[in-house]
Amino acid sequence: MIPHRTTRVLGQLTRRVVTLVALLAITFFAVEVLPGDAVVSSLSQDASDAEFAARRAALGLDQPVLARFWHWIAGVFSGDLGTTARGQHIADLVLGRLPQTMLLGGTALVVTVLAALALGSLCVLRPGGRADRAIAGTAMVALALPEFAVATALVVVFAIWLRVLPAATGTAATSPVALVLPVIALALPQIGWNTRVVRAAFGEQLGTPHVDAAVLDGLSRRRILTHYLLPGAAPTIAAAAATSVGMVLGGAVTIEAIFNFPGLGSVLIDAVQHRDAPLVAAVVALTGALITVVLIGCDAVRAWAGGGR
Amino acid sequence: MASLTRRRMLQAGAAAVTAWAAGGCTPEGTPASAPTGPPRNGGTLRVGAIGKAAAIVRDPFGVQPNDSDYLILSLLYDTVTIPAKSPLVAPRLATRWEAGEDLRTWRFTLAENVAFHDGSPCTAEDVAWSVRRLRQSEAGTSRLPGIDVSGIRAEGPRTLVIESRYPNSRIPLLLRLTTFVQKKGTTDPAGAPGTGPFELDWFRDGNARLVRNDNWFGGEVHLDAIEVRMFDRTASMVNAVLTGEIDLASNAGAVAARTAGKRDGVQVVRRPDDTAHYVVMRTSDGPFADPRVREAVKLAVDRKALVDQAISGYGKPANDILGTGDPCYAKDIPQRERNIDRARKLLDEAGFDRSRSYQLLTTEEIPGMAESATLLANQLQEAGVKIDVRKQDQATFLGASRGKAPLYTSFYGTQDSVVFCAGKLLVSESKLNEAAWHDPAFDAAYQQVVSTADDKRGAQLSHDLQQVQHERSGLLVWGAADGIDLASDKVGGLPDLPGYGRVQLERAWLSG
Repeated sequence: MIPHRTTRVLGQLTRRVVTLVALLAITFFAVEVLPGDAVVSSLSQDASDAEFAARRAALGLDQPVLARFWHWIAGVFSGDLGTTARGQHIADLVLGRLPQTMLLGGTALVVTVLAALALGSLCVLRPGGRADRAIAGTAMVALALPEFAVATALVVVFAIWLRVLPAATGTAATSPVALVLPVIALALPQIGWNTRVVRAAFGEQLGTPHVDAAVLDGLSRRRILTHYLLPGAAPTIAAAAATSVGMVLGGAVTIEAIFNFPGLGSVLIDAVQHRDAPLVAAVVALTGALITVVLIGCDAVRAWAGGGR
Repeated sequence: MASLTRRRMLQAGAAAVTAWAAGGCTPEGTPASAPTGPPRNGGTLRVGAIGKAAAIVRDPFGVQPNDSDYLILSLLYDTVTIPAKSPLVAPRLATRWEAGEDLRTWRFTLAENVAFHDGSPCTAEDVAWSVRRLRQSEAGTSRLPGIDVSGIRAEGPRTLVIESRYPNSRIPLLLRLTTFVQKKGTTDPAGAPGTGPFELDWFRDGNARLVRNDNWFGGEVHLDAIEVRMFDRTASMVNAVLTGEIDLASNAGAVAARTAGKRDGVQVVRRPDDTAHYVVMRTSDGPFADPRVREAVKLAVDRKALVDQAISGYGKPANDILGTGDPCYAKDIPQRERNIDRARKLLDEAGFDRSRSYQLLTTEEIPGMAESATLLANQLQEAGVKIDVRKQDQATFLGASRGKAPLYTSFYGTQDSVVFCAGKLLVSESKLNEAAWHDPAFDAAYQQVVSTADDKRGAQLSHDLQQVQHERSGLLVWGAADGIDLASDKVGGLPDLPGYGRVQLERAWLSG
C-alpha cells in the first residue's frame, strides 16, 4: 500500500515539475519572439554601437535562445535565478517581493474562503429564502466584476472622496491599513464565484440520505452544517478555492499596479516590457511553484474528505 | 502578452475613471497656488517619483532610468555645476570657471569649506576622481564627449581642470548633469557619503528617507527631511497626491494636471520647455528625402491644435527648432503656420505619391505622443497625405523604429540649449541622428558655435544654426510641453526649471 502510494505521489510530482519546466521554456521563447531586446531597453538611447555590443555579449544575447534557456534552467536547479538585463541578481529582486505578493494573495484567499463559507451557509439555512436569493444574485454580479473596476471604484470612494483609506501602498511592510483596499478588490470577484460553488455544493449534500437522516434525528443546524454538509462538500469547495489561487495571482498583477503595491506583479509587467526573459521566467517559475504547492494541498484535502466519509 | 496588453488597456481606462472622479467631485475653481510669505523651517516633504523595481540603480556614475533614483542621488550628491534659467548653468561645487584661449582647457574653481556627510573635507582630488569615474562608466563617452580620462585632473586643492580634445565653449554645460561627487577611492558607491543638501537616513527597495545636512555649503535648507516614494505608474502617484499621502508628485504629466488641478489643495507646477515633441522624417532616403516634401508636411500641420489636444494645452507650439528653452532661441524666425494650399503645391512639385498611404510609427513612451500621431494623421489627410498610424510597444519602437523608420513621432527631454540638442540629435556624426540628416552648412555652423568663446558671436552663430534647422531638417518640431508636477498647496519653493531641474528641491519648504 505504502510503496504504491509513494510511487503515485512521486509520479504526480514528476508530472508537475515537467509541466513547470515546459511552461518556463514556453515563457522564455515567448519573450524571445517579441520584437526588440533587453539591451535596447536597458541602455540609454545615445549609447554607442560598441556599448550595445558589449552589453549584448555580457548578457549572452549573442547566443542562441536554446543555449540561453539551457544555461538559465540549469542555474535554477542549482539555486541561481540569474541576473536581470541591468545586472541585478534576480533572486534578490524577486525573493524580496515574493512575500509581499504572498501576503496580498494569501490574505485575499483567506478572506475569499471565509466569506464564501459564511455566505454559502447563510444561503443553505433557508434555501430559496430572501437571504439566499439576495446572496446568490449579488454573488453572480460580483464574480462578473473585473478586479481593475472594483479597485478603481474603491479608490474613488474610500481614498479620494471619503479619505478614510490610502490609495497607494508605499514601501514593503507598511501598515495593514494599506492592505485593505487591494485585498477587497482582489477578493470580491473570487468571493462571488466561491459563494456560488459553496451554495451549490451544500445544496447537493442537502438531498443525500445521511443528511436527511440527521435532519430527521433533530440535530442542530450548526451540527448538520459542520458534521454532515461540510465534509461532503469539502472536495468541491477546495477545488474551487484552488482555482481561485491562480485567479488571485493573475489579478494581483493588475491590483499591484493600481495600488503601487511592491509585489511581483509590477516586476512581471516591466520585465515583459523590457524583454528581460530570465526575469519573466523567474517570476513565472515562482508563481508556478506556488500554484503547484497549492494544488498538491488541494489534492490532500480531497483525499482527506474522500477517506473520511 | 495579449492579455497583458488588454490589462494595460483596462488600467488606462481605470486611471481615466479615477481622474474623472477626482476632477468631477469638486466644483471648478481657480487652481491652488503655492504658499506665500517667508519660507518656514521644518517638516518632512513626501515626494513621489516614477521608478521600476528591476531598474533601480544606486550608483551615481551609472545610467539611472528611474526618476526616483536620480532624485535621490541629486539630493545626496552635489554636481560640479547645475542647470539654471539664464544663463543655463549656475555654480554648485564649482563657484566660477574660465577657459584658456583655445577653449580646450577649462579651470573650475571649487567652493571653500565643502565637507562630506562624514565630516571629511571635499577637495579637487575627490571631484576629479568622480568626474573620471563618470567618464569611465558605461555611458561615459556620451556624457562627456570629447574629454579623455587623462584630460580630467586636479590642480592644487581647489581647482578642477578639464581638457577637451577640441575647442568647446559648452564644457560647463556638460558638467551640469550627473557629475555627482563622491570621496576619492569610494569602492561601494551605493549610499556612500556625498556633500549634498541632504544625507541618507535609509534606502529600501527604491524608497528613501533623506535628512537635512546642516553643514551644507550651498545655503540654508528649510526641510528637516525628504521622503522619496517610488511609484511604478503615474496613475497611482497622482492618486497618492490627491489623497494627501504624498506632498509632491514629480513629473506627473499633463493628463493629471488637467483633472487633478481643479481639486482644492492641489497646485499644478508648470515647468515650461521641458520636452520637445516632434515628427521625424528620414532625410537620407525614402518618401521624405525630398526637402520639398518635408516642408509640405511641416506646413500641413496645425500646431496649436496639437498642443491643445495632445498635451492638453500644457505647452506651446514650436517652430521646427530644438532647444525651445534656450535664452538664444531665435524668436525672430517667423513661426511656420499652417498653409494647406502651399503644402499641396509643394507636394505636386516634388511628385509626391498621394495614392498610397504612409506609416506613422508611434508609442506610448511619454504622455501625448500616441495621441499626437492620430491628430497628425487627420491633419495631413487635409493636405491629401494618407497616414496609417501604427502604435508599437516601447521595446519594439526603440529597437526597430527610432532612428530607422521613414516617419515616426519622437521627443527629447532636454530643451534648455539649442547647441546641446544639435550636438545630440542633428549633427551628422551624432549617435542619435534620428532623421539621418547630413547637412554641411548645419555641421559647419555647429562646429563654429562650439568653438567660439565670444558670447555675442556665439549668439549670432546659434541663430544661423537655428535658421538652417528651421528651413530643412528632418524634424517637424510641433510643440514644447511643460513639465508638470502636482503638489499640495502647502509646498513652497519648488523648482520651475525644465527637465532634470525638477530635482532641485533644496529650497523647498512646507507651510504647516
